[in-house]
Amino acid sequence: MDDLLNEFLTETGESIDVVDVELVKLEQDPNNKEVLDNIFRLVHTIKGTCGFLGLPRLESVAHASENVLGKFRDGELQVSENAVTVILESLDRIKEILAGLEATEEEPDGDDSELIGRLDAIAEGGEAAAAEPDPEPDTVDGEIIDTTLGRALKPGEVSLEELEAAFANAPGPGDSAEAEEPAAAAPSSDDASLFDRVGGEDTIAVAAHLISQRVENDDKLGKFFEGASADQRKGKFMGLMLAMFKDDMDAADAVGRQLVTVAGFGEAQFDTMLETVKAVLVECHVDADTADEAVMMFELVREAVINASKEVAQPKAAAGGRAKPGDQQAAASKEPRKSTQSIRVNVDLLEDLMNMVSELVLTRNQLLQITRNMDNSELGVPLQRLSQCTTEQQENVMKTRMQPIGNAWAKLPRIVRDLTVELDKKIELEMLGADTELDRQVLELIKDPLTHMVRNSADHGIESPAERIAAGKPEMGTIILNAFHEGGHIIIEIKDDGRGINPDKLSKKIIEKGLATEGELASMSEAQIQKFIFHPGFSTAEQVTSVSGRGVGMDVVRSNIEKIGGTIDMVSTVGKGSNFSIKIPLTLAIVAGLIVKAQEERYAIPQISVLELVRATSAEKAGDSDHKIEMINDTPVLRLRNRLLPLVYLNEVLGFEKSEGSEENDGDDFIVVSQVGAFTFGIVVDQVFDTEEIVVKPVAPILKDLDIYSGNTILGDGSVIMILDPNGIAALASQGVSDAADEEEDQEMVRRAASSDKESMLVFRAGQDHPRAVPLSLVARLEEIDIGSVETSDGRLMVQYRGALMPLVLADPDMSLRESGNQPVLVFTDRQFTMGLAVDEILDIVEDEMDIKLASDKPGVIGSAVINEKASEVIDVTYFLGLAFPDWLASKDLSEESTVSRSAERVLVVDDSDFFRNMLKPILTVAGYNVTAVNNAQAALDLLEDGESFELAISDIEMPDMSGYEFAQAVRANDDWSGMRLVALSALSSERDINRGFEAGFDDYVAKFDKDTLLRSLAQQFKIKGDAA
Amino acid sequence: MNDIVVRDDLSLVATGTQDFVTVMLDGQTVGIPVLAVHDVLNAQQITMIPRAPDWVAGVLNLRGRIVTAIDLRRRLGLPPLEEGQSSMSVVVEHNEEPYSLQIDKVGEVLSLDDADFEKNPVTLDPRWREVSMGIYRLKEQLLPILDVDRLLAFESNGKAA
Repeated sequence: MDDLLNEFLTETGESIDVVDVELVKLEQDPNNKEVLDNIFRLVHTIKGTCGFLGLPRLESVAHASENVLGKFRDGELQVSENAVTVILESLDRIKEILAGLEATEEEPDGDDSELIGRLDAIAEGGEAAAAEPDPEPDTVDGEIIDTTLGRALKPGEVSLEELEAAFANAPGPGDSAEAEEPAAAAPSSDDASLFDRVGGEDTIAVAAHLISQRVENDDKLGKFFEGASADQRKGKFMGLMLAMFKDDMDAADAVGRQLVTVAGFGEAQFDTMLETVKAVLVECHVDADTADEAVMMFELVREAVINASKEVAQPKAAAGGRAKPGDQQAAASKEPRKSTQSIRVNVDLLEDLMNMVSELVLTRNQLLQITRNMDNSELGVPLQRLSQCTTEQQENVMKTRMQPIGNAWAKLPRIVRDLTVELDKKIELEMLGADTELDRQVLELIKDPLTHMVRNSADHGIESPAERIAAGKPEMGTIILNAFHEGGHIIIEIKDDGRGINPDKLSKKIIEKGLATEGELASMSEAQIQKFIFHPGFSTAEQVTSVSGRGVGMDVVRSNIEKIGGTIDMVSTVGKGSNFSIKIPLTLAIVAGLIVKAQEERYAIPQISVLELVRATSAEKAGDSDHKIEMINDTPVLRLRNRLLPLVYLNEVLGFEKSEGSEENDGDDFIVVSQVGAFTFGIVVDQVFDTEEIVVKPVAPILKDLDIYSGNTILGDGSVIMILDPNGIAALASQGVSDAADEEEDQEMVRRAASSDKESMLVFRAGQDHPRAVPLSLVARLEEIDIGSVETSDGRLMVQYRGALMPLVLADPDMSLRESGNQPVLVFTDRQFTMGLAVDEILDIVEDEMDIKLASDKPGVIGSAVINEKASEVIDVTYFLGLAFPDWLASKDLSEESTVSRSAERVLVVDDSDFFRNMLKPILTVAGYNVTAVNNAQAALDLLEDGESFELAISDIEMPDMSGYEFAQAVRANDDWSGMRLVALSALSSERDINRGFEAGFDDYVAKFDKDTLLRSLAQQFKIKGDAA
Repeated sequence: MNDIVVRDDLSLVATGTQDFVTVMLDGQTVGIPVLAVHDVLNAQQITMIPRAPDWVAGVLNLRGRIVTAIDLRRRLGLPPLEEGQSSMSVVVEHNEEPYSLQIDKVGEVLSLDDADFEKNPVTLDPRWREVSMGIYRLKEQLLPILDVDRLLAFESNGKAA
């Protein structure tokens, strides 16, 4: 059933019950204003909700009663018994309609005009109504409006409700009331059915009346029908015949069971009854054949009737005199249907329940821990069962606290609508996954941040319709809210297709606000700059609108989300839109915690903020491959996958003396790599235990000021431990710099500084004994290829690799492939070209300065460098690519003309391809240039603007955002840079392209992949430059 | 011990007698209104809380409740307990939050006549004056009465001690 309707039914049901009681109170104490107000309010609410849900019948009845109540309240009418009765009656009517609603989810048809008329009459003057005494609808006399049938009952016709009740009570066919409805109520159009031949409803009504009378007067049968009144009996016969003659045997069966309410009705009695029936039918001018057929139909229910009588014999024998046992049972059986749907429970009670379950979980954990150490398995089985029940209990109780996230979103469409009007934008809000459930506590906490973010998206993100059209986007902007579960967390995404966050605009603001210097910004990636919106007090709207930009920005959102252990991230593309994603834990009450030790005391770290655990050996003992903690001017850092991880010692954070002792004792440190927002850092602890489910309890008020704790908990062994708050630790670790993002940027700088000189090199051996090296960044994959799969085609070695043919090149002419087994292969990939370089052995990956000491003229070798304290040959991958794909370097000119000697001229390489940047840098370095490489034209311009000067720039043409042509034009447009030579390096080498390059301001145009021409060109350019100077 | 219902109003009423639990602190006997005391515990395993105020001894587990332990000696400016000596705890409540007062040991429960009650002498050490309701004149000694609410009202005087 519709949730809304369900809630309405529950609520209205409750209200009506209250009104019932209150009305009675009112009657006794007509001047009690409070009671009256209460009733009025409740009825008013019912009316309001009905109107809202589109239930006209309910609404009109409620409205009429409200009218009367209103007059009472305003003192225009005196509370009279009669008036109260009529109002009560209207409440009954409301209840009836509600029952119908519940059964069918639709408002049953019916006419309430008579009732409303009476209510209105009371409201008008009151006197007219007084004339009508007690118009209870269920009396036998007078015209009864059957609420479900919607018309007056004909004499002898049993009310549908009664029938329904009867069917509901029937054990066999279940809920056949609906099935029966068309049969009994509406004259069916079944052609030539028994029903028609008998003579239709009228005849049946007469027959039923007669049968009922005859049966009662019959000596043998009379006593079996004593229990029921004449009308009821008549009704039953009528219902039975209607059902039978319309071939609705299920219904007939059910009514048949109701026919006899006294035990002892056997075969003989049934025969007697049939005779009576037949006689009556004939009397009613039903022809003999039809009558026979009708009697045959009765035969079909014979069993049911007789069995029913037998059943009655046991439970009902004593209560034989009860009037309508069926009805009562039916009423009873209907009751639970209503009450089991949903109940309202106080939130406090749920919280208590949750707390108790938390305790239960703790105690269970405690027990498990105790028994784990015991061999006695006697406790094992019941404990397991207890454990299971507890877990289930926990889940269920958690469920009671779960609410769909849609509840937090409910206000958003309205907010967005208002915003569209206010800002004159067109915005569509799309909400996905609104039924994703999360803990109500969490829900409350994210409501405001979410609202804020949607406002932001609408205000800052989505452009005005004119701007959108100009940008070639649909006029209507879209904000998508998406919520889904992902491994114990809820992810909420807020996406918009607006203008995105412009790093340039942001940079200006950042500098304005002094959050970072121009130089710092220049070295940051776009994403890093964009993350500045999470800095305190940031608002990018040019104007402070009433909507956003009141100083509370995304930093508040971030801190709110982090407060509940969540994280927020953002990806934004200029012109395309922004995507914020929030990750929050499902519940706050029970979390997984990693138990660690520092200074003989245990602490828990919430698992959500733990990325990984690293074990670091002390510097002396560490082998090359081990992690070790290194110091930069007393600042401990850890190299982790080519990045530097800042470290904090938990002992220091907690104010203990740095425990040199423990460090040397076992020589090992455990590093908990944690993430707070985008800031990753390592917490060095003395020891790591396992993870445990912990119930977070708030710390005592006196400890609230301590940011490093988020709570405390009781462990399985009964001891209390503190739960560390990584946010607080991060804040403390960055010593006064409260914003972790600052720290992150600092770290980023350190990382850059550390990595700019060093490069990861893959060292291998091929043919000769000396090691060879290649920048690791050029290697796509390392593979071991089964020698059996190597084929020869067109005189070249090939291997089938990932569904394609990959040429295999030997790294040294002297080497040969292995006889059998696997051949180590370095796979290089550049665009569609993938080649394998067969080597003898892969030795190592080292991080070292690539300082090429000696250039080489040997093909395929750039030069020699000292790598890992050994002289190594650095190979030229382009040469091998050329070997593998002759077309790759089609224009390769193996001129022997060597490079011209020169001092370290500064050369700027602009290329979006990592491959080429990595390739060009060593080649040019070898040629003696001082090379700086950037991955886009904008970054190059930024560098130039920062005052960096280069003698020459080599630029790719095909680049995203800003092409080489544009770059050249931009460079030429600035007089300061006029001294810089520009060389285009492009795969586009048609004449037109080359001409265009010269037009744009390039001094030379070299086809890509042509190393020697490039070097020659560079030499030439420098010569020209030198001549000019 | 039996559960004791805590009376909301712990102030001393002018008539009759009052019951006090006496506790020892560095040789000084101190009284705590008996109705304020929830539990008396032997030495407990207390978890330290680094970076907390020094008079916070830590937290302990009392039948599934986490209780904050207050080092009463430190709070009152007394020297810390000698090494190796274990303290006892008197559990009280303040603003529905349980606190355990770490004391040397618990003495007897005394029923004292209101007539023997006197206000704090003005010369009393301010740290004591702050948390003492007044003094009972006993035959052998004087008994300061601890005002639990003021002792634990950190919100207002969190920097004390």
